[in-house]
Amino acid sequence: MTFEESELQKLVDEIIGLLERYRDDPGALDVILSELKSLYRKVPIYPGIIANCLPMVVKSTKPEQLKVGDEVSILTKDNRILTGKVSSIAQGDIKIVDCHEYGGQKSSGECNIPLSNLKEARLFTRDILHKEWPDLDFEE
Amino acid sequence: MPELGLKRGNVIKIEGFASLHVKEGKILIIGGLHEKWAKVVVPRAKSIPIEAESDAVVECTLGPNGKMERLPGRTIPREWDTLVEEIIAKKPRIVLVLGEVDTGKSFFSTYIANMLTRKNLRVAIVDGDTGQSDVGPPTTLGVVMVDKPVVFLRDIPPRAIYFIGSMSPAGHILEFVVGIKRMVEHGLENADIVVVNTAGWTSGGPGRAFRLYEMELLEPDMIVALQRGGELEHILKSVDQSKVKRILVSKHVRSRSRSDRTFLRELVLAQYFEGAGRLILDLRKVLLERCYFRTGEPVDPKSLGDPSIIHAEKMPEGLFIVVSGELSESKAQELKAKFRNLHTISTWDAKNVIVGLADSNNELVGLGIIDEIDYVREKLAVITPVKDVSRIVAVQFGSMKITPDGKEVGTVKPGTF
Repeated sequence: MTFEESELQKLVDEIIGLLERYRDDPGALDVILSELKSLYRKVPIYPGIIANCLPMVVKSTKPEQLKVGDEVSILTKDNRILTGKVSSIAQGDIKIVDCHEYGGQKSSGECNIPLSNLKEARLFTRDILHKEWPDLDFEE
Repeated sequence: MPELGLKRGNVIKIEGFASLHVKEGKILIIGGLHEKWAKVVVPRAKSIPIEAESDAVVECTLGPNGKMERLPGRTIPREWDTLVEEIIAKKPRIVLVLGEVDTGKSFFSTYIANMLTRKNLRVAIVDGDTGQSDVGPPTTLGVVMVDKPVVFLRDIPPRAIYFIGSMSPAGHILEFVVGIKRMVEHGLENADIVVVNTAGWTSGGPGRAFRLYEMELLEPDMIVALQRGGELEHILKSVDQSKVKRILVSKHVRSRSRSDRTFLRELVLAQYFEGAGRLILDLRKVLLERCYFRTGEPVDPKSLGDPSIIHAEKMPEGLFIVVSGELSESKAQELKAKFRNLHTISTWDAKNVIVGLADSNNELVGLGIIDEIDYVREKLAVITPVKDVSRIVAVQFGSMKITPDGKEVGTVKPGTF
């Protein structure tokens, strides 16, 4: 038995955990993959920083905490998964634009989801390296 | 110029940017005695306590962000002096200073060195922090000999430096361990006591491994643990307790923000490369170290059937190629199948990579920044303050990309070159 001599194991554990947690949500996985590629391109020598940043890319959040412009995926009680940007939250509905639905019928444009039908909202954060480690977010 | 009158025992704190000139009397700075005519410059983001050893007059000029504050009493804890007395009595050859980031390890090491120097002991300080390096430029480890009062270790020319190639030990444990051992050996050759100021990387698998193997390798006679609470105990539990001295972190130690750290690194790097020139090295004559490049059996790039390939060599790990432009996917697959693996870099990948330039004794002569590699003519152009090209026998590849004005502009994926 010895120590991990790099943080690569931690990164692999994080990736496995995220794949398992969001296996039902291709929208979230898309964003995680995009951020993982960006992080690895920018700081390949710091797997520990990648491992710390990656779980911050997708966060479960309460509908009342969402703001206009937030990029989200919405899981509904009737098992639909929609990804897009919040354009409004009013009168018991959340309106999503640039809306994409995975699994079932594909749609684009606007979707209205009654908040009463909302099972979970997941907020996406892109450019996570710039937010967490701005001094390592080198211009390319 | 504002003059400041101090009574014996008065203590003030000066934050940089500031400059001091002792006009009358004697003052103590970090345990070092400074007498009439002494001048000290405090850089931005650094601060020092000053204690009047006698009634004194100090001329103090504050620059941008500079501050001066009177303190109610001495900032150096009494237990530091007790430890100094113990070191003088026991004369350990190697004193290892452990502590997390921002625990005042450099300050503590400087204090110990100044106090021991006053007792006519020869002291070397090994600086093991490549990010906030006090000895040598960032990305290096270094050793200095302290033979007179010192305020900032940076003010002493290093006796030797060792190239790590990164700001952090992460991913560079082997370079760190070899480098710290070599710097300690330099110190032992020239000093009675070597104080090793370690990097503040103490937890996590790599941090633990680094610390414990470093201690096993160096075999320090004394381990000084600077702690706020018990944050080093997980490491200290594995070592001989009779060697361990636990010291509380001074409440005067201030944390530096990430931006302050980056500023300081960039400032030191910019100063290092100020006045640097462009040297052309012949790749057929210099050794290339810490890289795959030029370690394989040369392959004629024309034989590979793609004009974008301008350099090729066969290695145990597969085919190493340098591509100018785009290599087609089908050609990449073909070469991968034929040579088991394909390692591809582009002509511009090397731009701005930091390198160590070493002499025939494998001692670091200086740092360089790759400007260009001409793979066809086998030339390497580096920006470096080193003037004498004949001293450069080896080039050691690093993992950071920087510009000559000190800006960090990228990192290099391990194994790229």
